[in-house]
Amino acid sequence: MKNSEPENIGAHSRRTFFKSLGTVAATAATSQVRTIGAELEKINSEKIIGPGPVPVTLTVNGEKLKLMIEPRVTLLDALRNYSSLTGAKEGCDRATCGACTVLLGDTPIYSCQKLAIEAQGIEITTVEGLAKDKRLSKVQLAFIEKDALQCGYCTPGFVMSVTALLKKNFHPTADDVKHACAGNLCRCGCHPHILQAALKAAGVEHAAKTEVITYA
Amino acid sequence: MKAFEYATAHSTDSARQLVADKGAYIAGGNDLLGLLKEYLVEANILVNIKSLPGMNKIEHARSHWTIGALVTVAQIENDADIKKHFPGLREAAADVASQQIRNVATVGGNLAQHSRCWYFRHRDTQCLKKNGDLCFARNGENRYHSLFTGNTCISPVVSSLATIFAALDATAIVLREGKEIRLSMAEFYQRAWENPLSHNSLGQGDLIVRVEIPTARPRSAFMQVSDKHAFDWALVSCAAAAEVVDGKLKSPRVALGSISNVPHQVETANQFLDGKVLDDATATHAADLILKDAKPLEHNGYKVPMAHALIRRTLLKLKGDA
Amino acid sequence: MPSWPAETKYISQSTPRVDGEAKVTGRARYSSDIQAEGWLYGMILRAKWPSAKISSVNLDKALAVPGIKAAVVVRDGAFTIRYYGEEIAAVAGTSKQACLDALRVIEVTADVHHEFVVNESEARKENSPRVWENSPNAPTNPHVRENGKVDDAFAECAAVIEGFYSTAVQIHHPMETMGNTVSWTDDGLKAWSSTQGISSVRDGFAGALKLDHSKVRVITDYMGGGFGAKFGAGAEGVLAAKLSQAAKAPVRLMLTRFDQALAVGNRPSSFQKIKLGAKADGTLLAFDAENYGTAGIGAGGDGGGGGGGADIPMPYLYKVANTRVKQSAVAVNAGASRAFRAPGNPPASYGMESALDDLAVKMGMDPVELRLKNDPNPIRQREYKLGAEKFGWQAKYKKPGSSAGVVKTGVGCAAGAWPAGGASRNTQGEAQINPDGSIEFRLGVQDIGTGTRTVIAVVAAEILQLKPAQITVRVGDTNFPPGPGSGGSTTCPSISPTVFDICNKALEQLQTQSGIADARGENWFTACKKLGVNPLVVHGQWQQGLSADHACGVQFAEVEVDTETGFVSVKKIMGVHDCGLIVNQLTLESQINGGIIMGMGYALYEERVMDDLSGVVLNPNFETYKLPGIGDVPEIEIVLINMPERGVIGIGEPATVPTAAAIANAVANAIGVRVFSLPITPAKVLAALGKAPPATA
Repeated sequence: MKNSEPENIGAHSRRTFFKSLGTVAATAATSQVRTIGAELEKINSEKIIGPGPVPVTLTVNGEKLKLMIEPRVTLLDALRNYSSLTGAKEGCDRATCGACTVLLGDTPIYSCQKLAIEAQGIEITTVEGLAKDKRLSKVQLAFIEKDALQCGYCTPGFVMSVTALLKKNFHPTADDVKHACAGNLCRCGCHPHILQAALKAAGVEHAAKTEVITYA
Repeated sequence: MKAFEYATAHSTDSARQLVADKGAYIAGGNDLLGLLKEYLVEANILVNIKSLPGMNKIEHARSHWTIGALVTVAQIENDADIKKHFPGLREAAADVASQQIRNVATVGGNLAQHSRCWYFRHRDTQCLKKNGDLCFARNGENRYHSLFTGNTCISPVVSSLATIFAALDATAIVLREGKEIRLSMAEFYQRAWENPLSHNSLGQGDLIVRVEIPTARPRSAFMQVSDKHAFDWALVSCAAAAEVVDGKLKSPRVALGSISNVPHQVETANQFLDGKVLDDATATHAADLILKDAKPLEHNGYKVPMAHALIRRTLLKLKGDA
Repeated sequence: MPSWPAETKYISQSTPRVDGEAKVTGRARYSSDIQAEGWLYGMILRAKWPSAKISSVNLDKALAVPGIKAAVVVRDGAFTIRYYGEEIAAVAGTSKQACLDALRVIEVTADVHHEFVVNESEARKENSPRVWENSPNAPTNPHVRENGKVDDAFAECAAVIEGFYSTAVQIHHPMETMGNTVSWTDDGLKAWSSTQGISSVRDGFAGALKLDHSKVRVITDYMGGGFGAKFGAGAEGVLAAKLSQAAKAPVRLMLTRFDQALAVGNRPSSFQKIKLGAKADGTLLAFDAENYGTAGIGAGGDGGGGGGGADIPMPYLYKVANTRVKQSAVAVNAGASRAFRAPGNPPASYGMESALDDLAVKMGMDPVELRLKNDPNPIRQREYKLGAEKFGWQAKYKKPGSSAGVVKTGVGCAAGAWPAGGASRNTQGEAQINPDGSIEFRLGVQDIGTGTRTVIAVVAAEILQLKPAQITVRVGDTNFPPGPGSGGSTTCPSISPTVFDICNKALEQLQTQSGIADARGENWFTACKKLGVNPLVVHGQWQQGLSADHACGVQFAEVEVDTETGFVSVKKIMGVHDCGLIVNQLTLESQINGGIIMGMGYALYEERVMDDLSGVVLNPNFETYKLPGIGDVPEIEIVLINMPERGVIGIGEPATVPTAAAIANAVANAIGVRVFSLPITPAKVLAALGKAPPATA
């Protein structure tokens, strides 16, 4: 345990070293030697964890979610199957459909292609977290008003993509909306209404071109 | 996806140590997790390299710009300076996948991504790239495959950034066994041409740390054609870069993606274009030169006229307002 | 005879979806969101080969994986695999990870056959490997239907065209995959199913597991799309039930996207050799067609969705005096087809409407004129005239390939119909009216995204003169009075008259019990209060005269085609549609948009790709099975013909029928040559233009 030059040891022994270091670091932290403590903290964060379940803390919609999960568990899996946050949907599990879109900070990502363990320490927002005090967000209201949904399975993903867009672009064009939503699929074919809803949420009314003719 | 260990590296040395013989680096993870989920790659440890210092910056020097390997594709897309100085790079970044992917995808990951050949990506076909003894694509469903097919594996490079980097004559700096090596885009993918098991020239433990782009070519452009308008792989992509002095091209370079295992570049075409004033005839002749040795397969002959059109259009975009 | 009110407040207007809030907040619990007490994760092991004989399956190692609680084989004893992806076994465990690990250690002993066929034209050959040992892949003497004297008639034609039009296998790919959470105990079986037919799923479970129907309850609060594939309990449902029984716990087994592409249905391909001739005035005189397509190992799928067979209606909507049609399904080693949104119609429309346009071009006739000359349906006649005027057809239609420049524009039109689509006459429902004036409707139907709850609320609000928000609607439970499966555009015409009946019965009984002559509107609460302590429960059923069938529609498409890259961009689609009495315009618009966009995918992007050599589906994903994205979707303009006198008709199917044909015709009009197969990819456009060089590698 005295080896302070881990670079000089072989890969395997180094990993053994890191694994055993976990306990050493905890003890050393009490020594109150700041430099050593900081150094150990840094090395300690490089410790190897898994493959079995490890503690993971996610901050989702302002609440802490403490889980014991394997490093291979994706963020989507963690939300849907290790907690009851089923708002983000699984449509492909391969970063192609967007039903699992959540915000990491203000950034939309595919939660199916993100390890939960890597989503720690940053605010995660799912569709469940958009309504504040039971008041729906502008985007949610616009989706309802424009009927930007049918089966609704892709809806949480689209809502998150549009929400993210409007956080950084207050006056999006139709092309901006299309660019932001290119990574979301909808099989019911709600795209025209989704476009209208996104623009409506940004304050632009964009009526459907529908005409009704009554023949008696 | 098999179970794996996980660690976060804070230095390139420890990253190398941790990844050892059977581990994999994870940055954005888009490609890696896809590969792991299909059991196409099996890693006993994932080494998170996102905390490595200094690798997520775009830095400007007079002769070249440096883009850290951890810079995301979205960062490039949204960087006003890049848009001004390397417009083609910005265009290429904006065409990468979808917003959700661009937000996490890194420059390093985009360059290092594995083949998208649907035989390679399929969990139940044992092709050359997976140590099988047969290329299914050569006489099979090869609509998305290479036009330059004189080697064994005919799955093309699909990295959009590689295409524009090649045109910009950028260099990837790779940390190999503790030393930095410098690879042109041609060199970065050369091994994919030679060895069907390879997707690029990286070896186990090699780490891309940054890309250096010379500032010699202030004009650049990128175009691609896909089956769909967006979020679809390029059938063919094309990048061109040059300086334009008195209306004439200086140090022009053209590169194409999705038609060869390497970014396809033809030196005689670059030389032909050097000093020329761009017009339809020049662009057409350059396209002819670039595609001269194309050897289409049964289902991808369409890529020849498509690539030809893209070369002409991308070159003509270099004219800009001048 | 009952009739719909002439003046309406909600019917034919636009009411936002009543479950919209649940869906935009994530509160709506889909079948895949169900977390029953003690639930386990379930997954299926599938065949890696297109053809094999499985002699044994050893689950011991799988059962030893930590967290695994049950593993079952799909069938006892030896069994045959006839397509890549067929089910072999399934596991249930406490996590997805445990299941993934367990699937990899199941030991399958199989005799893998190297003789198989996945290509339609290969499968038709006499010496082709057989999918089914005892019968040829295609009938040796396919049925021929002949009217008139076809050969003689062709001799009389002023113009004749021939073409070989083909369509690819299309996969349903609803955003929520198939699957269920199943809890099977001694008390019976409860399934939360992602289905479009709760009753057919109940019957499917009962039949497969030999249970009384009364012991099976199916619940579908929310489900993520079906499009015809989700009518049965399915192999995945039965496996989930067996796992639940073995593990003594509820099992959630949802298919992966990979699974979805292999084994749970598709639209058959079609290969239509068409010869069509007309008199000099454009009157169609002779039609001779041979069509074959594959429904995989066979048309089927369990449950009430219909077969989804490979035969298509020919010559589709048109009456031709002399016709000869020869059709045959050809079996290949691939997953079975199922009903898919307007089964048979989109490929039929593509083939016939393409042939019509080719004929119009040959005759120098305007394509709309040719249709007006030959389409026997008076509603479509109106729709063509109206649509052509609004679309600006006359100004936009030019000689094929004549637009200037590299990027050429073109327009096309096509018609569709859904001759079925009437109501299910057995539809029933009930309402509970509480003394506080609240009212709850309970119907054993389900909402597949078409807005079933909203339709019920709108109709009830109209008849009772309340607001839609005052109506509570519960659907998706086999404990409720039975309703139809949501297929064939039948839900709306089934439930609207049923709700109408429930409401009128409720008003009658309220009148009796409260003494208030008209309990509607402002009298509602007073009348309900007089019920005292007991709620009023009224039962109603479908009534004749309030619904109809046979919706039509014509569509116009405008495209741009880049003749150097082959890229097709659809600029505009105009859909002119009728569906009798419009119930709710907003959700109707959504359905028409959806039909058009799905048709667009069929036209330009979607194709199941099989590999001849390995027999696998090469694109079991959304990366290379391409669905239209928001950037692909053009401006869509809808013209609705409201015909209240016809009553309620469904719109789900007809909206998707003509789109692919209209786009294909627009592409042909733009570039001056026909692309003879769907999807129309850049590769095919360049090939049609003669620009793609042959292989030299």
